[in-house]
Amino acid sequence: MEWDWNFVWQIMPTLLEGLKITILATALGAALAAVIGLVFAILRMTAPKPLARATSFVVEFIRGTPLLVQLYFIFYVLPDIGIRLPALLAGVIGLGLHYGTYAAEVYRAGIENVPRGQWEAAKATNLTGRQTWIHVILPQALPPMIPALANYLIAMFKETPLLSAITVLELMNQAKSVANSSYRYIEPMTLVGVFFLIMSLISVVFLRFLEERYARVEER
Amino acid sequence: MKIRHFMTMAAAASALTALAVMPAAADDSRLEELKAQGFARVAIANEPPFTAVAADGKVSGAAPDVAREIFKRLGVEDIVASISEYGAMIPGLQAGRHDVITAGLFMKPERCAAVAYSEPVLCDAEAFALKKGNPLGLKSYKDIADNPDARIGAPGGGTEEKLALEAGVPRDRVIVVPDGQSGLKMLQDGRIDVYSLPVLSINDLVSKANDPNVEVVAPVEGAPVYCDGAAFRKGDEALRDAFDVELAKLKESGDFAKIIEPYGFSAAAAMSTTREKLCAAQ
Repeated sequence: MEWDWNFVWQIMPTLLEGLKITILATALGAALAAVIGLVFAILRMTAPKPLARATSFVVEFIRGTPLLVQLYFIFYVLPDIGIRLPALLAGVIGLGLHYGTYAAEVYRAGIENVPRGQWEAAKATNLTGRQTWIHVILPQALPPMIPALANYLIAMFKETPLLSAITVLELMNQAKSVANSSYRYIEPMTLVGVFFLIMSLISVVFLRFLEERYARVEER
Repeated sequence: MKIRHFMTMAAAASALTALAVMPAAADDSRLEELKAQGFARVAIANEPPFTAVAADGKVSGAAPDVAREIFKRLGVEDIVASISEYGAMIPGLQAGRHDVITAGLFMKPERCAAVAYSEPVLCDAEAFALKKGNPLGLKSYKDIADNPDARIGAPGGGTEEKLALEAGVPRDRVIVVPDGQSGLKMLQDGRIDVYSLPVLSINDLVSKANDPNVEVVAPVEGAPVYCDGAAFRKGDEALRDAFDVELAKLKESGDFAKIIEPYGFSAAAAMSTTREKLCAAQ
């Protein structure tokens, strides 16, 4: 089968439409994961024992089951108990919840890596809890987290085609529709791959930049 | 010179005629391959009564049953089926993943251009499953296009998806549904307002679901009766022609009706039309 540039230009608007949804789902999913991750991390580290245990269980449960199964559950099973989420929202919640558990581990590791002495010194200089977190702990804990968080962001971005299984019209789903009606797979699937590659490379460059900037702040 | 030219032409013409008249000639290498292999690989969906896979993995449904019988008569012992999305069947055929599509893939001009269809096998009109009382009053694909709130579910790459898009329903209101059960669930959950399949498929699904809140509109207004055929790869016309010869015999003997009518299909409908007519119809 020959590569057909005319066909490429013809399907481009449809695929870009899908790419928009893919990026939207990634951005919302990442934001949700960042918040959920923080909540999980704080609960696990500071909550009373039973609550911390329960949180650990939930985190392990979510990490131990496939995202696709979770998406089916949110999309097809929750309506049985009266929760009917639109497809995109169901997808974002699935992504956010799943990657939130990974983010939680990153946060926890980052915070625990700040030496005990820093906490003690903050206490000795009579800083409040808030001051301790904002001026002492987080500035030291955050920069080492960036590479790990970035890896999960890119991994999540590359998992968004799973949302096509719950009818979200993202990039992969649009490409499949195009292939369905034209019987041509070579152009749509190649373009999907290229779009993902370009977006991943852009994210890598941007995150390198962030990493360097924060590293420099730390050196100062 | 002129005479030699004429003779070459005549020889070529007679060779062509011979090919046309004796489609199942001994030089049909594809058929020989399949005979030696002992089975033909067929693409099916899982959409009773067109195609069905039982819990024990046994393949049935009207389309594979007809194909199995014809291949047997051609000397190919059995068929081996793989389940595929409608949209992936023709690309799969072209890529050599299966030898023939027997799935209720209705003949439409653009499909006829992509594959070599046999003569008609299964005919059916289109239907809608929708909420009891048809609250949006939907009777045709056009009605769905005209109502900005109406969302239709259909199999990806299936005839119904194409009909909805052709009627002007925008892409974001045509929800691609992976299988019948999901379609029904999405209808019950209110994610879609209409689930569209051929009449017999909808009836089968709705009767199994046994849900008093779901009703059927059949046939859909403005959608003609479509017929499928066994779809072969372009280039496998010899195999297709051999299939057609046995299909014609099967139809004539009445065995065809015996196979498909228990599933609810009309043998008369398939026998009253031809591939030529169906492929030309818009």
